[in-house]
Formats: sequence, C-alpha cells, structure tokens
Amino acid sequence: MNDLQTTLLLVAALIPLAVAILMYVVKDAKLAGRLVMLSSWFQLALLLYLTMPLFAGLTEKLLISKDFFLAPLDAGFVVLTLLVAAAAFTHGSIFYERELQEEQAPTSGNIRLNYACAVLFVLAMCGVYFCKNLGYLWVCVESTTLLSAPLVYFSRTKHALEATWKYLIICSVGISFALLGTLFIFASSQHGAVPGGSLRFDELVESAGKLDAKLLRFGFIFCLLGYGTKCGMFPLHGWLPDAHSEAPAPSSALLSGSLLNCALFAIFQIGSIALASGSGLAFLIALWGGTVTVVAASLFLIRQHALKRLFAYSSIENVGVMLMAIGLNVPWLFLFQAVNHSISKVSLFLLSGNIVQATGKKGLAEQSGVMASAPAWGILLALSVFAATGAPPFGTFLSELLVLVKAFESNHSINAVLLLFAISLSFIVVCMHVGRVLLGAKSPQFDYFRPIASSIIPLGLVLLSLCLGLMVGPVTLGALSNFYKSMLTSEVVFPVAAVLSNASTAPLESSL
Amino acid sequence: MSVTVYEIVGVLSAVIAVLMLGSKNLPLQVSMFSVQIWLISGETAYFAYQYNHAEFYVVALTLLMQRAIIVPRFLDWLVRRIEVNLDPGMILPAPLTMHFSILLFGLSFFVGQYLPAPDPHTNIVIATATASISHLFSGIVMMLTRRLALSQIIGFLTIENGVYLFAFTQTNGLPLLIEMAVFVDILGAVMIGGVLVFSIKRSFEHIDVSQLTDLKH
Repeated sequence: MNDLQTTLLLVAALIPLAVAILMYVVKDAKLAGRLVMLSSWFQLALLLYLTMPLFAGLTEKLLISKDFFLAPLDAGFVVLTLLVAAAAFTHGSIFYERELQEEQAPTSGNIRLNYACAVLFVLAMCGVYFCKNLGYLWVCVESTTLLSAPLVYFSRTKHALEATWKYLIICSVGISFALLGTLFIFASSQHGAVPGGSLRFDELVESAGKLDAKLLRFGFIFCLLGYGTKCGMFPLHGWLPDAHSEAPAPSSALLSGSLLNCALFAIFQIGSIALASGSGLAFLIALWGGTVTVVAASLFLIRQHALKRLFAYSSIENVGVMLMAIGLNVPWLFLFQAVNHSISKVSLFLLSGNIVQATGKKGLAEQSGVMASAPAWGILLALSVFAATGAPPFGTFLSELLVLVKAFESNHSINAVLLLFAISLSFIVVCMHVGRVLLGAKSPQFDYFRPIASSIIPLGLVLLSLCLGLMVGPVTLGALSNFYKSMLTSEVVFPVAAVLSNASTAPLESSL
Repeated sequence: MSVTVYEIVGVLSAVIAVLMLGSKNLPLQVSMFSVQIWLISGETAYFAYQYNHAEFYVVALTLLMQRAIIVPRFLDWLVRRIEVNLDPGMILPAPLTMHFSILLFGLSFFVGQYLPAPDPHTNIVIATATASISHLFSGIVMMLTRRLALSQIIGFLTIENGVYLFAFTQTNGLPLLIEMAVFVDILGAVMIGGVLVFSIKRSFEHIDVSQLTDLKH
C-alpha cells in the first residue's frame, strides 16, 4: 500500500470513531442522522476508490500488515457492507424522523446512542473482512454482537428486551464455542506445522498438510457451531427472528444485510483451511448444514404472522443457500448470493419499517391494503419480495440457479433437489403472506409518511437487484469469476448465461 | 507419576465449578467464581515464573483484575440492587445438576484422553484438558438448568474460564494482544448483560428468563 492509500484507509477507519464521538456532542437527532448518512456514503466512496485496483485485477492484495489485508473477495464484502450501511442510514434518517413524531417517541439520546453503536457496528463488520488472523477475526465478530445489542433494544419495550437478551446470550455462548474452535486450530498448528503455532490464515493454509487432522476437525466443527449460531444456521437460529423483528427497520436491514455475511465469511475462511489440509469433510458439513437450514426455514415460513419475522426467516433461508455455495466451494457464488440477498433484504426490511410505522401494527393480518393506501410502497414491496425469493429476472434468481446447477454438477443431487423444493416453497409462502399485506381495502388510519423520500432507497436497491439479474450473463459473472479463475468451472457459467439471455458468451469468455 | 501444579489447580477449579451447580445462592456462586479466577490466574503467574514468560504475568494480572475483582464486584452489586439471592432452578434441582455435572467431569476425562498432548517442553499434561472441558460442561449445565438471568451470566463466565484454561494448557495461551482483546470483549458482554438484567427486573419485575417467551407466540 502506498502512503495515499494508507492515509485514506486510516481516514475510513477513523470516520466511524469520530462520528460515534460526535453523537454525544450533537444534540439534535435529525442533524445526527444526516451526519451519519453523509459519513457512510463518504466511507463507501473511499473504500470503492481504494479497492478499485483489486476489482480491476491490478493488484492482488490491499496490504496493511500480515494480519490485516484485503483480497478481492474480502473487498467485495467490505463494499457490500458499506453499501448496506449507507442505504440503511440514509433511509434511517427519515425513519427516525417519523419515530420522533410517535406518541411514545424515543428520546434524542436514544437515537444518537443507536447511531453511535450502528457506525461502530459497521466498522467491526468491515474489520471481519480485513482480519487474516483467526484471533482478531473472533474479536471482531464478538464485537459485532456487543455493538449491535443496543440496536435491538432501541424501542425499550418488553419484547425488545426479550429479543436483546436472547441475542446477547445465545450469540455470546455460540461465539465462545467459536473461540474454542479457534484454539483447536491454533493447537493443530503447534504439532510441527508452524513453530510455536499460528493463527494466520495464509500460514495455516500453507502448512495445512502438516496440521494435526484431529484437532483441525474439532476446530472446524466448533467454529461452525459458533459462527453458525451467529449467522442463524438451523437449529442455532433461535435469536435471529426475534432480534430482526424487534430491532428498528434500519437496524434490521443492517443485521440481515451485512451481519449474517460476516459470520458466513468466517465459516468460509476456516473451511478453506480445512480444505487445504486435504479434508473435504468441512465443506461437506457446510453443504448439508446449508441444505437443512434452507429446508427448515422454508417450512418455518409457512406459519408466520408478522411481516418482519417473515423476512427474518427468509434471511435464514438465504443463509442456507449461501452456506451451500460455501459447501460447494464456489467463493464468487457465495459473494454473488450475498450481494443479491443483502440488496433485496435491505429493501424489504426498510419497506416493512415504513409499513409498521404507517399502520402502527406488526401483524400481517393488521397491515392489509398497502397497495391501495400506499401504491409506491406496495409496488416496491412486491418487487422486493420477488427479488428476495429468487424470481426472474432479479439477481437472486440467477445466484440460486447457479447454486442448483453447481450442486447437480458436483453430484450432490439430493441437496439440489431439497434446495429446489425449499426455494419453491418459500417463494409461494412469502408471496402468499405478502399478498395478504398488499391486497385489501384502503385503511383510513394508514399514515403515508413522506412517500417519495421513503421510497428512494428501496427503489434504488430494487433497480440494483434488477441490473444484477439482467447484466449478469456477460458482465457480472465475468467480473466475479475474474477473482477466482482457478476455482471457476466454466460449464456452470456458460449454459446459464446462454439460457438467460441469448447473448453471446464471448464477453464472458474474454473476461476469463 | 508426579502430579503437577497445573493439574492440581485446574482440577480444583473444575471441582469448584461443579460445586457451584450444587448451590442456589447467587452471592455464594459469585464468591466461588472469584476463587476459581484466583486459582487460574495464580496458575498463569506460576507458569510465567517457571518458564520466564513475562507476558503471562500481564495476562494473569489482567485476568485477576477483570474476573476476580471487577466482575464479581459488579455481580455482587447487581445481586444487592435487584434483591434476588436464590435461583430455584428449573428442570432439575440443584443437587441433581451437581451430580450430573460430576458425571460430565468423568466424560471430560474420557474426551481429554483423545486430545493430542500439548507442547512436550512444558510440565502441562493431558489431564488439564479434563479440567477445561469440565468447566465448559458445568457452564453449559448452569445455563440450561437455571432460571435467573444472573445465573446465565455466571454460566457464561464459567464457559469462558474453561476456554481460557483450554487456551492456556493446550496451546500455551493466545498471543498477548489477542488475549487482551478477548478479555475486553468478555467484559463488555458481562457489562451489557448486567444492564439488561436491570432492565428485565424493571420491566418484568423478575429476572426469570424461562418466562421470557412472549415472542414465541
């Protein structure tokens, strides 16, 4: 890294700290919201500038130290995290403005504390992708739990308290097991692989063949349990629907759109060490863990009665799909599915926040008539649901299809069939539930609050999801696969691209 | 076969963790937890002295300050403020959970035997794995069988003690900077947990987490 890059990265890291401190100085919640919004877009622009050489293939790493650097895949996740944060904070400034008009309005202090925790939470999440040391990785993931707990407790209600308690305790205990797993991996490197042992990914991967196989296996299993709890893998998902549904909508968007990716990324990193040691068992466990999660979440979706809980279970389903992409060892597909899911789910959570605020109710039965009462929100909600559940022509359709194709190709037909069943079921169920919300008579109590301003971010995200779906053949997959040329199986990409758009695969071919 | 200090202290701490399960009294549990930490940090300091590793003095001192002084005082203060001294437990009565935990201690010995021996240059032997795994089991049992939010925090801390002992005895400890960051994170979790216990008491007029089931319906 040159001096300019180092300075810019330092600025990007210091911005959240400065903003968090400013939240105690600035007393006006609206001004605080605008400050957070501007800083988040500025951070995104800085990181995009810094990671551009990585995306263009001009450099392999954005190196800070041996323990902290960004590779292309990591950079993709960092940019995604910051995009989600910028979208959530931008919409959040309108959301909290509306909250302040409620009868039981939160205090300005509450909102500013929420902002301060949120910006530090985003910093911790970005830290996860920078860490190339298992120990620091654990510290960052645990920090995300501590910094996001106040976000869940924002409304200070009994339900929020219950959700926060479960979130804190379940995730902290889960993460303790991840620490134990980290120690097992550390111990595995102390038996002749690395003198004194190592927690660095590159050293562990390099000496993977010499790691103690038994300890490494224990390590992966404990890490999967720990980080799996954090990402909502079945049956460790107990905290997730409660936390996502009780947090205010912008925080739910952050939790669903970026936090889950962090934990999945940790599983992927640790699985890569196990794979490098010659054991495919780790990824096989991840594949089956993902399959079971997708199926279980799609079944849970049937009996949901609240909009945000419905979307929370949909997030669990998507976590399952991402775990399957990890299990199939296709990193760019994992990133692609994460991008698609994050974009569509952030849009859904932000819109659900609008609807909950407008109706004052959380239950599906009490929110009917959105299309008649708020046409813009209704249309966007319908499009976002299609995007999140994998309907064409949105990006999620393609990423889920690619996971399916890859599963069939690698002789995991049972997993593929189960995935097909689960995503079909969840599509039907989510559309059915959301249909009840969209249809119905216009409600006189419906508060259609700042319809244009509150639709801009969801509209942008829906369009982005659409672009990812439409442009995916020749452009997106080519760019993504550039990161992992060696891992890419072209047979997966070409037929899908050809089926989707009769476009020539030449641009993709040339990009490979 | 001679028994090392590490084995004696580790097993003693594990026995205290088992005994904690036999008590319903929260202040007594906090005191027992504090004794555990004195033992574990003493063991760490002895290791630093025996092998001349200065950084382990730092770890021992931080552990002592954090988990034997700050955390127990905070928990004691919490117990006084919320005016709850006894955890009646659920599923199993306290004596039975203690006996169950003794069985798990035996299982820990069985599991410990399957782990490869740590660094042969130290005096730390495989039996210490038993102690750390037993801590984990005791912590989990406490979290599963106790009703009160405070007991859940004590259970969580017992698990963390087990993880620390495992790190110390099986890997000769994490690098100092990471160990310190882990300590800070755990302290943060306990503090936030404590604040939530307060809020639970204020909102629900009890701290029985087994009754926090509204969101399931």
